[in-house]
Amino acid sequence: MLLWLIPLVLLPWFSHNTDKTVAWQAMLPHDRLSLVVTLLFKLLSSLLIASLLLALAGPHIPERIIERSRQGAEFVILLDRSRSMDDIFARPPRNTLPIEAFSTRSKRTVSGDYLLEFVKRRPDDRFGYILFSTRATEILPLSYNRDAILATIEAGALGKGLSKTDIFQALSKAAAMFEGEAYRGSRNILLISDGGVILDASEKAQLQQRLAEMRINLYWIYLRTVRGMTLDEQADDNLLWLEMPERKLHTFFKKLTTPYQAFEAGSLKEFAAAIEEIHRQQYQALIVEERLPKQSLADWFLAIALFSSLVLTLARLYTSWGVKLAAQADRF
Amino acid sequence: MRLSYQKRITLTAIIMVVALMLVMAALWMPHIQRDVKIMDALFVIDITDSMNVQDATVNGETVSRLDWAKEFTRRTFLDMPCGAHAGLAIFSEARSLILMNPVEVCNSYHDLTQMLNQFDPHMAWARSSEVSKAVYTAIRQAKEIEPEPTIVFVTDGHESPPLHESLFPKFDGKPGEIHGVIVGVGGEDLLPIPKTNEQGEIEGVWGVNDVMHQDVYASLRSDTTTNVPKARTEHLSSQKKSHLQTLADRVGFEYVSSPTKPGKLVDAIRKVSETRPQTIDYDLYAWFSAIALALILLVYLPYGWFIRTDD
Repeated sequence: MLLWLIPLVLLPWFSHNTDKTVAWQAMLPHDRLSLVVTLLFKLLSSLLIASLLLALAGPHIPERIIERSRQGAEFVILLDRSRSMDDIFARPPRNTLPIEAFSTRSKRTVSGDYLLEFVKRRPDDRFGYILFSTRATEILPLSYNRDAILATIEAGALGKGLSKTDIFQALSKAAAMFEGEAYRGSRNILLISDGGVILDASEKAQLQQRLAEMRINLYWIYLRTVRGMTLDEQADDNLLWLEMPERKLHTFFKKLTTPYQAFEAGSLKEFAAAIEEIHRQQYQALIVEERLPKQSLADWFLAIALFSSLVLTLARLYTSWGVKLAAQADRF
Repeated sequence: MRLSYQKRITLTAIIMVVALMLVMAALWMPHIQRDVKIMDALFVIDITDSMNVQDATVNGETVSRLDWAKEFTRRTFLDMPCGAHAGLAIFSEARSLILMNPVEVCNSYHDLTQMLNQFDPHMAWARSSEVSKAVYTAIRQAKEIEPEPTIVFVTDGHESPPLHESLFPKFDGKPGEIHGVIVGVGGEDLLPIPKTNEQGEIEGVWGVNDVMHQDVYASLRSDTTTNVPKARTEHLSSQKKSHLQTLADRVGFEYVSSPTKPGKLVDAIRKVSETRPQTIDYDLYAWFSAIALALILLVYLPYGWFIRTDD
């Protein structure tokens, strides 16, 4: 808008405020140098007005995104939002005497805390977040914005859980987040949940294909609900555990052609170790996008303005000094 | 006024010196610190079925209330001063679900709008709409966030199942403890509500026999003061202004009905919030260079065209 004022640069060429009217033009000596100097000053004045106007218009190089090579990985976080995640994490069975003090924090707040710590330790990673309840919704598409991802994880730890979860949908959504993206480095899905589901054959086939297509590694931090039960079958297994959905899901994940690793967190220590291990593993070359903030160019124009106004001011001062001398000389 | 040649020359020289000093100041004057008032706001967007009614306008186009709410929230982000924080939550069933805690609006504008764009009826986890209880849960959860945000609750106020005014759900907090603004959306006329199925897709509209028309508890009472038969219109929806006003009074919120300018909403938020001062760097270069420019133009204005300057 300010640029509409640009025609003002022509002003110096029309203005004769400081011209001296001379009785007879022919009395003036013809002087090449003066002509050049006058022209030069008019040019400088135009330049001065133009540069001030441009500086005022707020010139800048807009925000740019550049690609850099860093260390890290890309993660989509799937944190279970179901009701069962409101239960106390690693609660000792009620029929045992609590020998050690145990924390009374819910599985969700504990997971939230570890996730926050994990994200904070990985400055160059790109994170996405899926709200994973009855319907899975990709609420935070893959982003480098630390504040946004941290705030989303914090919000995930608040309040009560929702009714149920659909792991199949959540995993498909997570895989879909990488669709159409250039491969920049290790891609991971970090699933944190305390339960499993039984998937049917077509769902299994779909998931397997999607994960392979997108080259995604899957990590599952399983928050143990039943004391003593492990995801892998043991020799002294309780018969009731054989058909648990968690186990079925684990068996399916193990058959995936893409890398998969499960961590069973039955205590804070195990949870921390799982997070530490993922952190250690996922430290590979990664192409990251960095945002360069917009840079103002106003100073450049101001410098030009400074130069031209300096010359012009000196010239004006010199003129006024000369005129003063002449006026004094007149008096004698 | 006529100035002698000598005076004109001197005056011009003085003006040029002043202009030169101003340009120098514009270049080298350090930034000054200025305090702006910033606020933390948590935007709760109603995503229940009644929000699909098409009776709101954005840029002259009739859109659904939800689209209006999303667009208006986005514009409000833009109008909030940098340094202010905004968070996002959705409301369905009888609770508000916080999805992102307040983050700085300018840096995270992109992520906030990305999340906002995802809001649609698919995300609803149940097919009821208990506005007052959702406001209460939003207040409860806001207390867990540090610093406590101001709640901006965008809704049409449609309660389903309906509420009898004497049987309001109990609010156990202190009114005004958490500040907030209820933003009403929707028109005056009762319109049919699009019905979403299990998958969140719109399938026809709610019929008159699909919904309850009376408060569950009131309908069980025998006294005719509370259990009065009334028109069966709960399958239709408009902006429930008096209900929202009552609700706002109950929890100590402000109520703004269908605001047209995001700036007005930001003002309303600022008015109710406990704002925090935040110091920002403020560059005065624009002022200095503008004055310098004005002075220089003064030197070159063609006065000769208006007054005679012959001597």
